[in-house]
Amino acid sequence: MRLSFKGGIHPLKEMHEGKNRSKHQPIRDLVPGKVSIPTDMHIGAPSAPCVAKGDRVKLGQVIATPVGGIGIPVHASVSGEVTGIVVRQLLNKKPSTCIEIANDNQDEWEQLSPLGDVETAPADRIVQQVKDAGICGMGGACFPTHIKMSPPPDKKVDTVILNGAECETFLTADHQLMLEQPGLIVDGLRAIMRGMGVEKGVIAIEDNKMDAVKAMTDAASGREGVSVAVMKTKYPQGGEKQLIEAVTKRQVPSGGLPSDIGVAVFNVGTAAAIAEAVALGKPLISRITTVTGAVNTPSNIRLRIGTSFQDAIDFAGGTSEEPGKVFAGGSMTGIAIPNTGVSVTKANNGIVVLGKKDAVTPEPTSCIRCGRCVDACPVMLNPQRLKVLCDMGDLSGAKKEHVMDCIVCASCSYVCPAKLELSPTFKEAKEKITARRI
Amino acid sequence: MSLRLSTGPHLLHKESTQTLMLDVIIALVPTTAAGIYLFGSKAAWVLAVAVVSAVLCEYLFQKLSKRPVRVMDLSAVVTGLILGLNLPAEAPLWLPAIGSAIAVILVKELFGGIGHNFMNPALLARGILLASWPARMSVYFMPVRVLGSTSVVPAGADAVSAATALIRPQGYEVYDLLMGNIPGTIGEVCKIAILIGFLYMLFVGTIKWHIPVIFVGTVALFTWLIGGDLLKAVLSGGLLFGAVFMATDYVINPMLRIGQVIFAVGCGVLVSVIRMSGSYPEGVTYAILLMNILTPLIDRLTSRRVYGTVKQHA
Amino acid sequence: MPKKTTFRGVFINGILNENPIFRLVLGVCPTLAATTSATNGLGMGLAATFVLLGSNIVISLLRNLIPDKVRIPAFIVVISTFVTIVQMLIQAFVPALYEALGLFIPLIVVNCIILARAEAFAAKNTVFHSAADGLGMGLGFTAALILIGSIRELIGSGSIFGNAVFGATFEPMLLAVMAPGGFILFGLILGIINSIVNRIGSRKGAQA
Repeated sequence: MRLSFKGGIHPLKEMHEGKNRSKHQPIRDLVPGKVSIPTDMHIGAPSAPCVAKGDRVKLGQVIATPVGGIGIPVHASVSGEVTGIVVRQLLNKKPSTCIEIANDNQDEWEQLSPLGDVETAPADRIVQQVKDAGICGMGGACFPTHIKMSPPPDKKVDTVILNGAECETFLTADHQLMLEQPGLIVDGLRAIMRGMGVEKGVIAIEDNKMDAVKAMTDAASGREGVSVAVMKTKYPQGGEKQLIEAVTKRQVPSGGLPSDIGVAVFNVGTAAAIAEAVALGKPLISRITTVTGAVNTPSNIRLRIGTSFQDAIDFAGGTSEEPGKVFAGGSMTGIAIPNTGVSVTKANNGIVVLGKKDAVTPEPTSCIRCGRCVDACPVMLNPQRLKVLCDMGDLSGAKKEHVMDCIVCASCSYVCPAKLELSPTFKEAKEKITARRI
Repeated sequence: MSLRLSTGPHLLHKESTQTLMLDVIIALVPTTAAGIYLFGSKAAWVLAVAVVSAVLCEYLFQKLSKRPVRVMDLSAVVTGLILGLNLPAEAPLWLPAIGSAIAVILVKELFGGIGHNFMNPALLARGILLASWPARMSVYFMPVRVLGSTSVVPAGADAVSAATALIRPQGYEVYDLLMGNIPGTIGEVCKIAILIGFLYMLFVGTIKWHIPVIFVGTVALFTWLIGGDLLKAVLSGGLLFGAVFMATDYVINPMLRIGQVIFAVGCGVLVSVIRMSGSYPEGVTYAILLMNILTPLIDRLTSRRVYGTVKQHA
Repeated sequence: MPKKTTFRGVFINGILNENPIFRLVLGVCPTLAATTSATNGLGMGLAATFVLLGSNIVISLLRNLIPDKVRIPAFIVVISTFVTIVQMLIQAFVPALYEALGLFIPLIVVNCIILARAEAFAAKNTVFHSAADGLGMGLGFTAALILIGSIRELIGSGSIFGNAVFGATFEPMLLAVMAPGGFILFGLILGIINSIVNRIGSRKGAQA
């Protein structure tokens, strides 16, 4: 009996979730000519640049220092000369300060300070090492990982789960990472477990990646407290709450955090970055991203942070037709970008190009109360009722109906036959409720 | 290059209101074909007039009231077809024409169009026709042809009218009840055709099994409790047609599964009560209409536990 | 609403601007009951007009004499006097109408229109204007009843004022002469009138 959760959907089933073309494409490295590294990639205050135009920087050098309680440092992803510190409008609401570096192609590393093998490194220094490496959640949210690894003393974590579900459409980066570097991922898990003082670690993988299951199981054999769990393939199995429900049968309390029930979840890419930080002292300067869709060579590419989307698309063979839409992430929760000059961030797991025809979204019509949204919701909400409340402007009513628990997975929008904009309405309602403290 | 900016999800499910309606129409094809075969060309005319009238009325109303014309979503075709199938084959053609107009304009468009009707349009129109022209609506002749091998004699030139098979179900064989060699409305007689349509809709995912099965099951349970012939009771009258095609109308049944169960049980209870003690031989129309009215109340009273919360006591 | 001060103004107001059935939506119960045919509608309308005219005049005459605290019972006494008169008249001279309207004749006493106009108009205006209002409201009521009654009779019996309009092959829509049909028809006519008034109002507003 495969592990699973209630609700959920199978998006793009008729086209293999869009994963077929980039699946099993070996990871290739792209070394860009220049990078434009944002200082606000993580949740928390943007970091403050500590280099100036004209400075020469080495690979892995700190170029922005953390500001405030939950900030993390930003490191140079190439070695070369800082060509400028500019303010650009990227995907965030506010403009981002970006540090632009011209690559001298030397890849000259900064002085590294590894802690050594993950099993023997001093456990009490692991969390600081993770912070110094500038690691944040690479599955999409980019929450500073060292904070997640330090829950308040009254919240005892007993299980660490690695998210190998990759339930989003089009994405195959995590899958490829699990096939090519399973040992590194397990090392990362062990580092997290030792750093947090947790004895149980589970690597959760969907059953459409049985080769990854085998690779991870082999890598995990003999490693203390590490096991692999196989889950039914369903979207959004990779959502934190659904993952925890499937693996541990516990539910994160409404308005609470996973640490409230003793669980911490990390992406497999984040775990790999942690392994490199602890064992080799390398900070986070690159990540694996799936570039697919209307491109000639769909690929899984190891991209330096700050690479432009255009460089990534060119490396994937360029567009195969005139692009109508390009979004960062998967087709369910990805963010459409205004131009391909935006930078790859620490949490950027996909770049998908759609042709003109696919880029058109149908006009919303009238709700026919079919109930498909209700069946799809993985949080057991009633999206039809919430949409009525939000359209009427009744935000306090929507809050009573738990709109704040919505994980904005867009399952409801996907299945709606009337093509109503459900998920965007709820996202906006949540933002308004938070802003006005209703 | 100019890139489109829009919120996700960026690729949507292929299903739309139009494809759902199309699937319902396809599911109605066996019933329509059986009805036309059994009752002859006059049945075909009734159905044609019903559908054309429904589509025309919706188009004209939307055009005249300056609303977007949404005839292409095929919901008017479904309404017209279901209304037509609910009429006797002997109905004069002005009956389906007026009925479709009532269904589309009065019940659906005046309340806000698709998704806003508070009762099933075809069913309420049928109810209005029943109250307005009771003689015309309750006259059923035997079919002019028979389906399969049976000893039933089809209606000849001197056909005699009979009430629907419901009055004396024990007078008919189960085989004839199944195949449709009995008097009744165009769509309700051939149960095999209805079941084929039901299975098709289940297979392509248009409807879920709960409402029809629980509805019919409740009636079966009541019949069994009073010691009646279970199979014949279930196969008589408009029960199967109503349970499969009318009670499953999305707009007027509850949103949550538990609400739908309550709805289906309520329909079954009402049908049984009306059949046993009411002065009408057939209770399906009124049962479903009454439960339609209760749907908002059912929606208000039912809820399901949201992830991460504790069950609230209402 | 600007106050109409001429006889003609008050009179027309009762028929059009403040038509008791379609604009004020008062007295809907006898409307639905008495409009099963045009004749019944006419009869009920005229009976109510007689009562309205009489009670408005008398109440206006007595308006300074009736103490405020007992005004409602006083109005009812006046109104029921006129209703009793009209009931006896109908019973004597138009027995068919008496049978058709039945209980609804004495129920004219509690017809909202009559009490409302007594309270809102007759108790505050001169006899002259009260008479105009009574006449206008009554005739507006009658016109509305005849309109609805004609339509219901036409659809539900195939005749108008008792005269068959369609041939023998016409099959009347029985629902129209039943209560549900009356409700539905009333609602439809009200909707049509509202949309016409809105359109006139917006056109006037656009011109202003």
